[in-house]
Amino acid sequence: MTQLPPPKLSQLSRTLELFRSFQKPLFLRLSKLKRVSISKSLLIVCFIGLAFFMLLPIIFLFNNAFKPMNELFLFPPTIWVKEPTMRNFEQLFLHAGAAVVPFTRYLFNSVFVVFLSLVVVILVSTMAGYVLSKHRFHFKGLILSMIMLSLMFAPETVAIPRYLIVSSLGITNTYLAHILPFIASPVAVFLMKQFIDQIPDALIEAAKLDGANDLYIFTRIMIPLAAPAVATISIITFQAVYLDIEGSTLYTTKETMKTIGFYVSSLTINLQNSVAGQSMAAAAALLMFIPNLIMFLLFQRKMIQTMLHSGVK
Amino acid sequence: MGNVVFQHVYKHYKGEPNPAVNDFHLEVADGEFLVMVGPSGCGKSTTLRMLAGLEDVSKGNIYIDGKFTNYVSPKDRDIAMVFQNYALYPNLSVYENMALGLQLRKVAKHEVELRVSRAAKMLEISHLLTKRPAQLSGGQKQRVALGRALVREPKAFLMDEPLSNLDAKLRAQTRAEIIKIHSQLQTTFVYVTHDQTEAMTMGTRIVVMRDGRIQQVAAPQILYDEPSNKFVASFIGSPQMNFIDGIIASHEDGFYFENRRLRLPLPKAYARHLQGMSQGLPNSRRQVVLGLRPEHVLCDADALQAEPYGEWQVQVTVAMKEPMGSDTYIHTDLGGTAIVSRADAHIPVRIGDTIKLVLRMDKVHLFERESGESLLLRGASV
Ligand SMILES: Nc1ncnc2c1ncn2[C@@H]1O[C@H](COP(=O)(O)OP(=O)(O)O)[C@@H](O)[C@H]1O
Ligand SMILES: [Mg+2]
Repeated sequence: MTQLPPPKLSQLSRTLELFRSFQKPLFLRLSKLKRVSISKSLLIVCFIGLAFFMLLPIIFLFNNAFKPMNELFLFPPTIWVKEPTMRNFEQLFLHAGAAVVPFTRYLFNSVFVVFLSLVVVILVSTMAGYVLSKHRFHFKGLILSMIMLSLMFAPETVAIPRYLIVSSLGITNTYLAHILPFIASPVAVFLMKQFIDQIPDALIEAAKLDGANDLYIFTRIMIPLAAPAVATISIITFQAVYLDIEGSTLYTTKETMKTIGFYVSSLTINLQNSVAGQSMAAAAALLMFIPNLIMFLLFQRKMIQTMLHSGVK
Repeated sequence: MGNVVFQHVYKHYKGEPNPAVNDFHLEVADGEFLVMVGPSGCGKSTTLRMLAGLEDVSKGNIYIDGKFTNYVSPKDRDIAMVFQNYALYPNLSVYENMALGLQLRKVAKHEVELRVSRAAKMLEISHLLTKRPAQLSGGQKQRVALGRALVREPKAFLMDEPLSNLDAKLRAQTRAEIIKIHSQLQTTFVYVTHDQTEAMTMGTRIVVMRDGRIQQVAAPQILYDEPSNKFVASFIGSPQMNFIDGIIASHEDGFYFENRRLRLPLPKAYARHLQGMSQGLPNSRRQVVLGLRPEHVLCDADALQAEPYGEWQVQVTVAMKEPMGSDTYIHTDLGGTAIVSRADAHIPVRIGDTIKLVLRMDKVHLFERESGESLLLRGASV
């Protein structure tokens, strides 16, 4: 995360503008293309190439899930599927149906944990961001620097202290064990604070004079304005919680308390060597990916707004 | 109904060595249009924000309508404020922006509608009520902000540089509008600006501030004619007052203003202010700055011929001409000191010419060199 200097920022937004113009109908696009200079069209070609390159893994993921066994094991591996089949999914569901804990239990756990985490993280980060950005109080500088400091730790380094805290709280094998570690999210608080920083103080002061109390200002003025940041935080948190396996491997021993992320990763780990495992893993990977994709498509525009505003790359 | 009293009010910001507001002591009468003016950073906004309750008072008391107000929360002070950057709620429509203050105060719905539509009509924004702030121009936004204050019908209106973000034409227009609103409502206005033209045209009384201190409080014309110190003299008026360094010398036939190039007799009327000044004092104690408004520096033929102005003539070279249409500012050089004269638009002088000027000594201001205090007002105020 680095601060973006203003000129670069405007460049970035111009590039974004360029991309946005691609959502228009084809004939409009073509008429627009005629007017762009050579250097610009070169840039466009470069970006299209880059975008395709970034898209490759996703294309691969989709194709893989529908590949029959023989294609999965082709060497060198191909990207495009030749004879699509639903066999992989059938196998996955068969396997899941035969397991001790039904597939739906993992799914429910995940949905429940993700939902609750999202709600709490949004609540905590918006409130903390608002107070840190717009209120004056003792030790504010200290709190801010602690948040900054905690941004710098790699998650692995805090795994053990985190385990100690969770176990000493006696919440192992509960949903709280999945949720609690995500609630204290310095990234979310930091993003939120940065975003709220650029909402002018005068707006809050005007509301105060209009007779609004803090709660009203927070819910009716801050939250609507901070919607893009909330969207961003939602995506980040969703991905973190949804893909998390630490909660399931470290803080829960009961199979019924584990999440779908753990289930899928255990599939791919346990069955890696078996031939059937490969096909199930391919299907499961796609299924895991789809909610992520939906979340992103829902919030992407707001997310880009946040990134531009908060000066975070 | 809303007089405002500041009793020796101070504001210390944490970590700042000097107070942002230093012994602000003033009474604003009910219905007055008070303008606070001064260079940026002189503490105008801080003073206004203390009055609004957005900033704590470090020392001193504030009364609104006779009531001790230091610890009253902003919403209970019954004042409305207009901000420089409009501060409209972006997610609400113009109507909702204007109505919010009333709705939060539980004003009846029909009353809200009535007041909003009345204010909208007054400000000619009725056709914008359903729009969002982002769809409005700067001028329209500022009108909505004014409207939001109007509908509240508060005891006092506070405005912090409300016109600074508007272009020149719109600024003049909105300025006239605010003056009109004040004369219709007859409510107390406290208006902050760094623009002396705004201050002069709008205020019934003006407070000139510098470095957190009040320099002078007076009606516009008095401020212009009788500035109490050199700072006020230089801040008010455009083009700026001319300043010439020199000393006061007393001779048998009266007092003179002298420096290396000049020796100009001062009118007899000034003698009484200068008595203590020059009897046997060393030169250093008699150092003054002479101030003279550009309109009192004459260069037309009539003035040069006029009998009483004979001994007040000086020779200068023309450095620059600034034609303004109605008149021309002639920038001249008097041995290193710049002197500006406000002259007739058609005056036939060219850059580089050596011309004669009349410095009307009957209109001069004299300031102590060190303190900058006016010598002529010193006698008056004691
Ligand atoms: N929140 C603050 N913290 C510290 N110093 C401040 C704060 N607000 C204003 N100041 C200082 O107080 C002085 C007066 O500021 P202000 O009242 O805004 O001036 P003005 O409105 O006349 O331009 C300035 O020197 C400014 O730097
Ligand atoms: Mg200010």
